[in-house]
Amino acid sequence: MAGTRPTSNGDGLVAEVGEAAIVLEGRITAYTAAPVWRRATETLTQRSGVPITVDASHLEYIDDVGVALLFDLARRQRSRGADVRIRGLAPRFASLIEAYDPEDLAQAPKGMRRIGAFEHLGRATADQMAYAGRIAGFVGQCVAAFAQALWRRGAIRWSEVLDVATEAGANAVPIVLLVGFLIGLIIAFEIGRVAQQFGAVIFVVNGVGVAMLRELGPLMTAIVFAGRTGAAFAAQIGTQKVNEEVNAISTFGLDPVHFLVLPRLIAAALVMPLLVVMADIVGLFGGALVMATFDVGFLQFYSQLLGAVDATDFLIGLLKAATFGLTIAAIGCQRGLATGAGATSVGLSATSAVVSSIVMIVVIDGIFTVLTS
Amino acid sequence: MEASISPSTAINVQGLSMGYGSRVLLENASFDVKRGEVLVILGGSGSGKSSLMKNMIGLYRPMAGDVSIAGKSIVNASPDDKARLQRSLGVMYQSGALFGSLTVLENVRFPLDQFTDLGMAEKNLTARLLLRQVEMGAAESLMPAELSGGMLKRAGIARAMALGCDILMLDEPSAGLDPITAANLDRTILTLRESLGFTFVVVTHELQSIFTIADRAIMLDPVSRSIIAEGKPVELRDGSTDSRVRQFFNRQPTAAHSAGP
Repeated sequence: MAGTRPTSNGDGLVAEVGEAAIVLEGRITAYTAAPVWRRATETLTQRSGVPITVDASHLEYIDDVGVALLFDLARRQRSRGADVRIRGLAPRFASLIEAYDPEDLAQAPKGMRRIGAFEHLGRATADQMAYAGRIAGFVGQCVAAFAQALWRRGAIRWSEVLDVATEAGANAVPIVLLVGFLIGLIIAFEIGRVAQQFGAVIFVVNGVGVAMLRELGPLMTAIVFAGRTGAAFAAQIGTQKVNEEVNAISTFGLDPVHFLVLPRLIAAALVMPLLVVMADIVGLFGGALVMATFDVGFLQFYSQLLGAVDATDFLIGLLKAATFGLTIAAIGCQRGLATGAGATSVGLSATSAVVSSIVMIVVIDGIFTVLTS
Repeated sequence: MEASISPSTAINVQGLSMGYGSRVLLENASFDVKRGEVLVILGGSGSGKSSLMKNMIGLYRPMAGDVSIAGKSIVNASPDDKARLQRSLGVMYQSGALFGSLTVLENVRFPLDQFTDLGMAEKNLTARLLLRQVEMGAAESLMPAELSGGMLKRAGIARAMALGCDILMLDEPSAGLDPITAANLDRTILTLRESLGFTFVVVTHELQSIFTIADRAIMLDPVSRSIIAEGKPVELRDGSTDSRVRQFFNRQPTAAHSAGP
C-alpha cells in the first residue's frame, strides 16, 4: 500500500492514499455513509484495473449501512479477482459480511413483466367477465338468502336490521334534510329566474314538484346514502374480512351473505323511502320559500302543486328510493366481501363501493325514466 | 437528575407510572437499560409489557415519572427533540406494522429513503442485507398482505434496524414463529449485539428465547402494579423467592387451573 495514513477528515470519510488505497475510518452509519460510499465507488471506477487495498483497520463503528458498504466492496473484490482487497477489518464485522452470498444480493429488484396490447385487452376482458360472474353469483346468493329467510320463521335478524336502520336511516336524517332543502331552494330559484322572463313563474311550482318527487329527491338522497352508508358497509364488512371474522362466521356453519348482507339489504330498502319522503317534503318547502320571493304564496304554491303532481309521481319516487337503497347496500356489501388482504384493500373497497353505487344509481334512474314515461 | 445518568446507560426509566384512564398498570417503576445489553421485559398477557415499551419510546405519555434516552428526557422533550430521540430508536411493533402499499424491500428501504442521501443501488443493497439478516431475502418483492405473521415481524425488525439505531425495541419478536425461525432470530439478535453493539429491549414471554438472549430481565405484575423481579433469567428461575416469578419460569398453572380433572 502506498502512502501514509491521511489526517482524519471527519467521521467515516474515505481517503485515498497514494495510488491505490482507500482508508475507511471513524464511524460509518446510515447518516454518514452516503459520501463515503460515493467516493469509494468513484475511486474504484477510476482505478479499475489497478489493484486497490481498502484499509478498514481504523473503523471505530459501523451500522448495517456500513456493513452494506463493506459488503459492496467485498463483492467487487470477489467478482473482479484480486482487484480490491480489504485489510484490517475487525473479525466481528467480517463475520457479518461473509455470511451472505454476493451474487444473491446484487440482482436488480424484479420488475413487472411488460405485456402487449392484445394480452392486456384479453386479460382485461377476462377480468371483467369474471367480475360479472361474481356479481351474478352474489345477486343469486342474496336472492337465495332472502327466499330462505321468507320461508323460515326467525331467519331474519331483526335486531341487526334495526341497528343498521338506525345508523343508515335515523342518523342520516339531518344531512338528508339539509341537502333536500337546498336542492329544492336552488332549482326553484334557477327555474324561477328563467320563467320570470316569460311570465310563467307559476309553472315553476310544476317543475319543482315533478323534479323533487320523481328525480332529485330520490337521486340526491341516494348519493348521500351511497357516500355515507354504502362506504360504511364496504368498510365494515371489508374489515371483518381482513380480520378473518367472515371466515369465523363461515366455520360456524353460518352463511356470511345471510348473516351480514341480508340485514343490511332489508334495512337499506326500508329506510331509503323514508329518507326520500323527508327530502321531498323539505325540498318542496325550500321551493315554496323561494317562490314566495317571486310573489307566489304558500297556498297558491300548494294548490298549483296538487294540480301538477299526483300520487303516481310520489310513488315512483319511493319505488326508485327502495331500488336505490337495495342497490347501494348490495354493492357496498359485495365490495366488502370481495376485500383482499390488508388495510389498503379496505379503503379501496369503500371507494369502489361509492363510485359504483353512484354510477349504478344514475343508470337505474335512466331505466326508470324510460319505463315510466 | 439527568447529570446523574451514567454514559453506559442507554435508557433510564425513573419513577414511571402508566396506564389507561383510571386503569393503572404500573406505579413508580424505575430501571435502566445498559448499553449493549439485551433487556427482556417479561410478564403475563395484559401486564402492560407493550404499553411500557410505548411509554419508553414516547408514543404514550406516562402518568408520572420520566424516561431518558442517552441522558435526554423523551417525556419532556420539545416535539423536534422528541422526533430526534425517536429516530435514534429502532422499533418493531407486535404486528410488524409494515406499510401496506409498499413491497417488503421498499418497507425496509423506507427509512433510508427518508433520512439518507444514499443512491438507490446502495439503499437496495443495504435493504437486502437487512432482509437476509432476518431470513426474509426471498420475500423482498412481496406485499405485506401476502406475508404470514412471522414474516411480517421479521420484515419489521429489518426495517427497525435500517437506520442503524443502536437501541432496538422489539415487541414480541418470536411470538408466532416456528421454533427454527425463532432460534435463528435469537441468534441474529445476539450476532447484532456482538458485532454492531446494538442494545436490545425485547418484550416477550417465550421462555426459550428469554434464556437464550436475555442478559437481564424485568418482570411486570399487573396486580401489584410493579416490577416484581429484576436480574438474570436463570437466577430468577432458580433463585427467586417470589412464587409468581417461579410460576412464570416453570410454566405452572394458577391455583384455579391446577386441580386437574
